[in-house]
Order: sequence, then structure tokens, then C-alpha cells
Amino acid sequence: MTDRRSFLRGTSALMAHAAFPQVLAAFLANGANAQANRFFASPSDTNRVTLLVDLILPATDSPSASEARTHEFIDAALNACATTKQQSTFRAGLAALAADGFDNMQTSERIALLQRRAKADISLPYDESFFKILKDYTLTGYFHSEIGATKALAYERVPGGYQGDIQLVATQKAWAI
Amino acid sequence: MTQANTFDAIVVGSGMSGGWAAKELTQRGLKTLVLERGRNLQHIVDYKTALQDPWQLPYNNRPTQQDRADQPIQSTLYLYDQSTKQHFVNDLNNPYQQAQPFNWYRGYQVGGRSLMWARHVFRYSDLDFEANQREGVGIDWPIRYADIAPWYEHVERFIGASGENSGLPQLPAQVLQPPFEMNALEKHIRSRMANKFKDRKLICSATAVLSREHNGRGPCQGRNQCARGCPFSAYFSSNGVTLPAAAATGNLTLQPDAVVHSLIYDDSKRRVTGVRVIDANTKRATEYFARVVFMCASTLNTTAILLNSRSPRFPNGLGNDSGVLGHYLMDHHNGGGATGAYSGLADRYYRGRRSTSMYIPRFRNTTQREKDFTRGYGYEVYTSRASWTRGLETAEFGADFKNQITRPGPWQVYIEGYGETLPYRDNRTWLDHDRPDPYGMPTINVSMSYRDNERRMSQQMMDDAVEMLKAADLENVAGFNRETVPGSVIHEMGTARMGRDAKTSVLNQHNQMHSVPNVFVTDGACMVSSPTQNPSLTYMALTARAADFAVERLRRGEI
Repeated sequence: MTDRRSFLRGTSALMAHAAFPQVLAAFLANGANAQANRFFASPSDTNRVTLLVDLILPATDSPSASEARTHEFIDAALNACATTKQQSTFRAGLAALAADGFDNMQTSERIALLQRRAKADISLPYDESFFKILKDYTLTGYFHSEIGATKALAYERVPGGYQGDIQLVATQKAWAI
Repeated sequence: MTQANTFDAIVVGSGMSGGWAAKELTQRGLKTLVLERGRNLQHIVDYKTALQDPWQLPYNNRPTQQDRADQPIQSTLYLYDQSTKQHFVNDLNNPYQQAQPFNWYRGYQVGGRSLMWARHVFRYSDLDFEANQREGVGIDWPIRYADIAPWYEHVERFIGASGENSGLPQLPAQVLQPPFEMNALEKHIRSRMANKFKDRKLICSATAVLSREHNGRGPCQGRNQCARGCPFSAYFSSNGVTLPAAAATGNLTLQPDAVVHSLIYDDSKRRVTGVRVIDANTKRATEYFARVVFMCASTLNTTAILLNSRSPRFPNGLGNDSGVLGHYLMDHHNGGGATGAYSGLADRYYRGRRSTSMYIPRFRNTTQREKDFTRGYGYEVYTSRASWTRGLETAEFGADFKNQITRPGPWQVYIEGYGETLPYRDNRTWLDHDRPDPYGMPTINVSMSYRDNERRMSQQMMDDAVEMLKAADLENVAGFNRETVPGSVIHEMGTARMGRDAKTSVLNQHNQMHSVPNVFVTDGACMVSSPTQNPSLTYMALTARAADFAVERLRRGEI
């Protein structure tokens, strides 16, 4: 239990610091105002991506990707973080799925279509692969969300120390970072 | 000369070396001005991302295209993300020229790169200090291990470092707190290596991260987010350790936003009388005066300021009678290594994020020349159980996929050599007077390449890495040997080297300019060779040693 003790000692030292409330306020402000511009062109884009992220990371013993608002992350992050080439690959991929009737399929048909897409894409470079870009943003968005990091994975903001060699118990999730 | 602008000492730069110069000079009673070209950055108060969760950072910590456009060099660094980008320079506002590709990673703020460094602190040994002379390469170091050993100890006792002494003569014993624990795979590799090799050992790196409380700092809380700044002061930085110690003396004046243009040389006194400074915001010029100047602006900036300090006596740059100022630029090279996996130890894991690596000290060419290259390399060793990122490259998705990648993955290891680079005269930096930067300073140009010795070494770095991982029973062992861009290890050094002879060097054995006795250069610019161990500890020790010498000579009225 030395971990727990040192964790509390460290946190109280930080909390006692006069600047802590301001520091905390700055954290919250930073996160909130960053994601203004959006990538998806239409509500049907949004719906399609919402379906896609849940095909990739459905609800299991932890919430689904859409419950963690991963589609909203993708909407903002593709706009800000992806290159023009990656953006056009993604747009074309979304349009191709629509043309194949993805929006009106049963779930099993959607899974089969996405599997075909994944297999066809796997040998492509990242910039030219709709599936790789989709998967990258879905996994990053979900596992770095609060739900993904704390419910699907295990996350400790301040672990309180380091234990190098411990028994892995059956219920242990992987560390988020 | 105004009273307000006059000090006993001026230190140019507030990073690793400048912080030490400030501490040692102020503690010896000198009224000291520290000039920092970047903004002020207060310890803890200004670490605004330190405790942010991934989802609190913009784009879940993913850099944007705008970030990459503003920081095209800085954003290529492994440390760069939304939580650290504020500690790296805007490349567009701070241009430099690359006659050959050179990655120059910079932190323009109080504390400099001591805020984001990798924190490994090893000593050099006489194997390193004697190498140039033994082999007839470059020039001889004007010091030996015995000269610097007490200063290594002085620095180690103050900064607080943890780790393990190797017991090998090429890596001298240090003053260290207990090491961080090895994980299960590291223990396995260590024991296999001990069985198979006499002179190759896996140890926990000596690291300026506290495993125990030290002078009210730390211990490390296992965040491994050091480059954001540490709210627990658990790793060494100027901001958290040396600058506060200097301030506590009452002798420190810290002036941020002060871009040093040049040093002022007085021909009649044969001394530097002060420095010319450009205000980073108003661009207004100011002069500050002092009896002694310590140059700690980081290798390339220190040499640039000296080259820009031209006078009738020194038309080619201050202290440059020898013509070597700007030459013999070095960096380490880390293109050779290997990866592997391990399917055993599936029931072992770890908790917390250890902010250091394991290390294999140099074992090549230690007692005799044994290969088709000279000098050697050490390895940094990183091990972990694969995370969810192993799912990025596959075609799989769905519930089973999610269940699988949210469990600890197989053990994996990444091992990377850090090799010495020989000093070559035409690896160099110079000033481009036709292309002024936004401060009206000539831009810095850099030309550096690795040569046959480094290439042959890099091949062996890979081969040895593969051999060791295989000896440790690892699976899927794959070596790599890739070209790396100079500067990428961020150990740029040399260009104002120490030496015994004023005809072939800029500085003497005390880091004192041969031709201008009240100027000291104690950052990486002073280096004569580039021993494989990480260099910061040596810069700190040389700085403390030079400060002690300078104050002594000042008291005697000799400078």
C-alpha cells in the first residue's frame, strides 16, 4: 500500500499549491474550446460514421464507441488533424459505402461489407486506405476518451509510483497509457 | 554603463548548463544576471497540461495540421503532442538554414530543454577522455576523469538521480538513489545476458528522476509525462531545482525575453565588458555589463553568438584565433537496433508508468580495438506489454477484437544503440548574414553528415542488438539499421571545443576562452569528442567546475 500513501502525499502537495485552482481551470478551458470546426458534410455522413465506429468497437462489458461520442471526435479531429489527402480518402470511402447501400443494410450485411473493405484496404498505404484512417481515428478517439480509457481500459492519472513486476489478475484491463 | 544594467556575472541561457552556472555563481556571492531568449516559465504554476487526461487535451492529444505547419521540425519528435507542444519552439518564427538536413529541436523558455530532456545521467570515463589522443583523432581532451570526478559527485548529490551502478570501468560508479524496479521481461533478459556475456549487462539507467524524496522533491509518481513539467518536482530541471537555488541567494536576476545578439569586446582591456541584447517582444536593443560571462545558450546558439561578436581584434568571431569556432559539430547516432517479442510471462504485468529505460553500457572497443570502427555505443532498452495500438494495423474489428486489445498484449522489446560520432572539421555551423531572422540576427546554417566510421558502427549496433535479443530467447527478433538525420538525438555538441593548444581550440581546460579570459563556454559547444553516454551530466559538472574556477580567479583579480 505504499503506492496509495505516496499517491495521497503527492496529490495533497499539489493541491496545497496556491496555483492549483488556476491550473485546473486552464486544463478545462483548453479541452472545451478546441473542437469547433467539423468535417462531416451531412447528417447522413454522421449517421454512417456512428454506425461504423460501433461496428469496430461495439458495446461489450464496456460502452460502445458511439456512447463515448467517438463519431463526434472523428468529426472534429479529421477536420483539424488529417491531411488533405487523408480527408479526401475518407470522403471517398464514405461515399463508396453509401453507394453500396450501407445505410439501408442489416447489421450482418454491414459487417460483411466492412470486412470486405478491410481486407481490400489492408495492403494500401495509410493515406489511401479508408479503413485504416477510420480505424485509427476510432481507436484513438475511443481509448483516449474518458469512457474508453477508464471503462474499456485501466487508467490512472497519477499512479503514485511504479511496481515493475506484479501478478496479472484475470480481470485486469490493459493500461490506457 | 548604467548601475542598473551592471552585474558581477552574466549567464547566457537558463537551461541545463545556465541553471548550474546561475546556482554556482550566486552561491559564491556573485550578483548574477541570467538572460533567457524565451518566455518566462514558472515551475509548476505554468505546467498547464501536467495533469490533464487524454480527453481533456485538444483532439485527445493528437497534433493538428496547423501544429505541424507551425512546428515542422519540432513536431517530428517522439515527445511532441498536445500536452508538450508549448515547450517547443515555433520553427517559422525561429528559422535556421540546413545546408544538409539537420533536425534542431529547441525549447525557448526559462529552463530551456532541461524541461523536456530524457533525463539519463551517466559519467564519462578515461576511456572517453583519452580516446582522441590514443587514436590520433581530433585533439586531446585537456582534462581527465580525475579532474571532473568530484564535480560529477557534486552535481549528482544536488540533482538527485536514481539507477544502478554497472560495476564496469567504462561507466564509473555514481551517487544514485535505488533504481526503479525491472519488469518481468527485463529481469528475464538480464539473467539470460548474465549467463551468456561477461561484459554486457542490462541495468536500470542512471536517471535524474527521484525514486525517493530528495530535498523536499519527489518521489516520482509514475506519470511518465515529464516533458509536460512535473508538479511533484520529481525530475531535475533548471526550473525546479537550480534556478530556485540561485534565487534563494538573493543574488539572481532572471531576464526572460532577452535575445543575446553579441558580446561586447573592449580591445584596451582585452576583456568582454558585457552583452548586447534584443528584447524578444519590442526588438529594442539593450546592453548589460559584467566582469565575467558564461555562455550556456546551447551548442549552436552559443557558437552563433560568438561568431556574431565581431571586432577589429576578432574579425571572425570572439575567441576565434584558431579558426575552429563553428567546426567539429557532433551528435550521437541511433539508427541501429532490434525489436523482439516474448510469449512467456503472460501472467506478469506492471503498475504505473516508469519514466526511464533500461540500459546496456558500452562493451565494444573498451580494452582494445576489436572491430572495423573506432569508439562504441550503449543501448537504451524499452519493454512493455503491447497496448491497444496493436489493433491499428490489422483488418479485424468487432466485439472479439475489442475484448482482445483491451487486455495486456504480448511482451515486446525495442532496443536502440546510441553511438559516438567522431569530430569532423567540415561538420559545422556558420552564420548566414544575408538572411536575418526576425530579431535581426544572422540565421544559423548547419552542415553535418555521418561518415564511414558511424555507418560501420551502426551496422554492428544492429548485429549486436539482434545477437543479444536472441541470446535472451526473444521471438520474432528483427534488426534495423536506418539512416538518421543529424541532430535527431538532440545531443548536438562541439563547435567551440576545449583543448590544450590555443592554435587548435577555443577553450582551455577550465572552459575559459584562451584569448578572452573572462568568457567561459560550458554548454555542449565545449565538447572535444562525443562519448556515447548522454552528455547533460557532463555539461553540468563542467559548468560547476568552471564557475568555481572563475570565482577563484575573480577574487584574485586575475580576470
